[in-house]
Amino acid sequence: MSEVKLKRETNVLDVVEVENRIKELCQQLPHGITDQVIQNDMPHLEPQQRAMVINKLLSLGQLDLLRNSSGLLYRMKDTQGAGKMKGSDNQEKLVYQVIEDAGNKGIWSRDIRFKSNLPLTEVNKILKNLESKKLIKAVKSVAAEAAIDSKQSPMVQRNSSFATSHEVWKYICELGISKVDLSMDDIETILNTLIYDGKVEMSVIAAKEGTAGSVDGQMKLYRGVNAVIQPTGLVRTPCGLCPVFEDCHDGGEISPSHCVYMAEWLDF
Amino acid sequence: MTAQEVRLCGLLLREHFGEVVEKVGTHLLRGGAQNLRIIIHETGVPLDLVKKSLCVLVQHGACVFSSGRKGAGSPTEYRTSCDRILRILRYPRYIYTTKTLYGDTGELIIEELLQRGHMTMSSTVKTVADRLTQNMEEGLCMDYGEVSNAFSKLVETHFLQRSTPATPGTPAAPVSTAPPSPESFPDCYKVPHMTLVGRGKRQLCSEDGEDQRNAKRAKMDSQAHGDEGICWQVNFERFHLHFRDQAIISAVANKLDQTSSEIVRTMLRMSEVTTSPTATCTKPLSANEIFRSLPPSYNIARPIVDQYLTLLVDDPMEFVGKAGESGGGMYVVNLHRALANLARATLESVVQERFGSRSARIFRLLLRKRHLEQKQVEDFAMIPAKEAKDMLYTLLAQNLVQLQEIPKTPDFAPSRTFYLYTVNQLPTARMLLQNCYKTVANLIERRLFESRENKRLLEKSQRIEAILASLQASGAEPEQLTEVEEMITATEKQQLEALRLHINKLDSAENQVDESIFLLESYINSTASTS
Repeated sequence: MSEVKLKRETNVLDVVEVENRIKELCQQLPHGITDQVIQNDMPHLEPQQRAMVINKLLSLGQLDLLRNSSGLLYRMKDTQGAGKMKGSDNQEKLVYQVIEDAGNKGIWSRDIRFKSNLPLTEVNKILKNLESKKLIKAVKSVAAEAAIDSKQSPMVQRNSSFATSHEVWKYICELGISKVDLSMDDIETILNTLIYDGKVEMSVIAAKEGTAGSVDGQMKLYRGVNAVIQPTGLVRTPCGLCPVFEDCHDGGEISPSHCVYMAEWLDF
Repeated sequence: MTAQEVRLCGLLLREHFGEVVEKVGTHLLRGGAQNLRIIIHETGVPLDLVKKSLCVLVQHGACVFSSGRKGAGSPTEYRTSCDRILRILRYPRYIYTTKTLYGDTGELIIEELLQRGHMTMSSTVKTVADRLTQNMEEGLCMDYGEVSNAFSKLVETHFLQRSTPATPGTPAAPVSTAPPSPESFPDCYKVPHMTLVGRGKRQLCSEDGEDQRNAKRAKMDSQAHGDEGICWQVNFERFHLHFRDQAIISAVANKLDQTSSEIVRTMLRMSEVTTSPTATCTKPLSANEIFRSLPPSYNIARPIVDQYLTLLVDDPMEFVGKAGESGGGMYVVNLHRALANLARATLESVVQERFGSRSARIFRLLLRKRHLEQKQVEDFAMIPAKEAKDMLYTLLAQNLVQLQEIPKTPDFAPSRTFYLYTVNQLPTARMLLQNCYKTVANLIERRLFESRENKRLLEKSQRIEAILASLQASGAEPEQLTEVEEMITATEKQQLEALRLHINKLDSAENQVDESIFLLESYINSTASTS
């Protein structure tokens, strides 16, 4: 009796248990598991059931399907990623996957279209959706432009080295290093102190009303600069920095012949 | 003549010409124009020594003489000025520049002329050829023609000029107080026709007797080479223009990039002879000309050159300005503005190194905004009130920042007056220039002190070197040499080494401070000539 019961129980394996088992296997082998591995682990699992469970996990977004040279691989998807994509449909997930795979460099929208095989209108709609959910960001590829032109056009080089005060303000806000909310005026005040430190220079350009950051039809542009001269010759001597320079005379108590600062400087 | 300038001139005269000349020179600097009798009386130096000192000073252009103030017939008066004597500090820089531009031959020509003051072309060529031959290998000689070529090249580029011809005893002496400058003579840069053929002679040190006979013979048959009475001197102004151009080019290279500095270098090179020394900016050059004159190694396309020129014009430092649209755009180099910017950078660098970067921020803030109240300074510079006050008062005490009072009521009551802080660039530059002079004088004093302290040691090492040299010349054995070398102990060797390092350091520091002096002097002179 018990044998029959057992058999029946193992025959009708709980789907949840199979899922958990597959997930455990994925965790054990983070590089991915193949069908073969699952079969070895649970030899009594029928292929149909296995396929059903795997499909369920895939649709739930808990498993990643990859292909390598020898066959299909299943990999655990990290839960954070799974959380993000709740509520998005498959196409969006696919586009997101494509963008994620491109890594730090980003990817042109044309390449997204090729990789996902979706028509242009679909891709654009999906990209807008993803952007509104703040999952992806469109980045103007100034780096590429500058790389092409840097050997030839100093104008483009210079224009790409400027940042508007609006861009700086956005960047600082996004970094979140300030505990207090900073307005654009505050940022401009800080940038002005950098000008007085001689590290930044500013120029003003005319901008259309309504473009981000323009005030009264003008925009302020900032750029980092190098120093014009090296520290001047006078400050390389102890006399240039001496606090008692005025009191120093030959024959006096403080004199060049017996100057302590000079002695230290000479032995340096 | 400020006290610091006189002190520095005294030290320079002492080092180069000796104590007697120093005494006479400083007396003239302090006292203005004086005649011979007064000089003798007040310095207490005997007549013949005073005469010789005055000769030395006149030979080097440091002293000028003119007929007395009381009219023709009164004794001649002698006058000295600091400028010429302070140039002595810059001699190493002149020699080094000539070496980079014209090689060893040019370097030696300039060195000889700086040491002698004035010389005729023939004697310069002979001396330089002999010196070069000394250093060449056995059997090789320096040809006079080569040295003459180098001399002519230096004259062509105006680095050398004819000295003012001395006209003794002219009855119609010019009444004008300013002595005629060498440039007022039309033949200033004309090389005279000279018959000078030969080669340099090598001095043979072992044959002393023959040397004396040779010297006697040279004195007796001094050949006339066709250029008697035409003396040459170094044209310091030309060197200064060259240094100014170098400073502008390196500033552009630091601020922008190498290509921009090459363009500015080309523009300055093209304007070398067409621009007067006191001009505010160079003559306008068209973009076409600039493009054609760029060095061929820089193959930049024409539109790129235009873009670089636009960038240079847009730069806040205003090195280059646009003067018109013909010929693809006419561009000038703003010389006076560039000098003002360099002087401003020098002032800022001094404040930064001496008082810290926050004080430098306040200083730059005041330079930009001219007049500010205490509260405004704190707000713009983003420095807490207490610290800002402290820094402002320190700068005020050092006279780098001035206070301007603007009263609301006629009685200047403190509660009803605006107090504004301000920086005036020109007076501050003058003050820093005096500090530079004092610093150089301090460095020279320290150097002399160090040599004096270790005089005994230096003399001992010199004696030992002389003994070693004579032993080696007469072929001694190695044991004798080592025995002589061991007469200097190890600690003494260390001391000597430390002394040598100290003196080198002090020397190079003098040259570095001289660079600051040059920038500040050029700036002050440029504003004086325009105002």
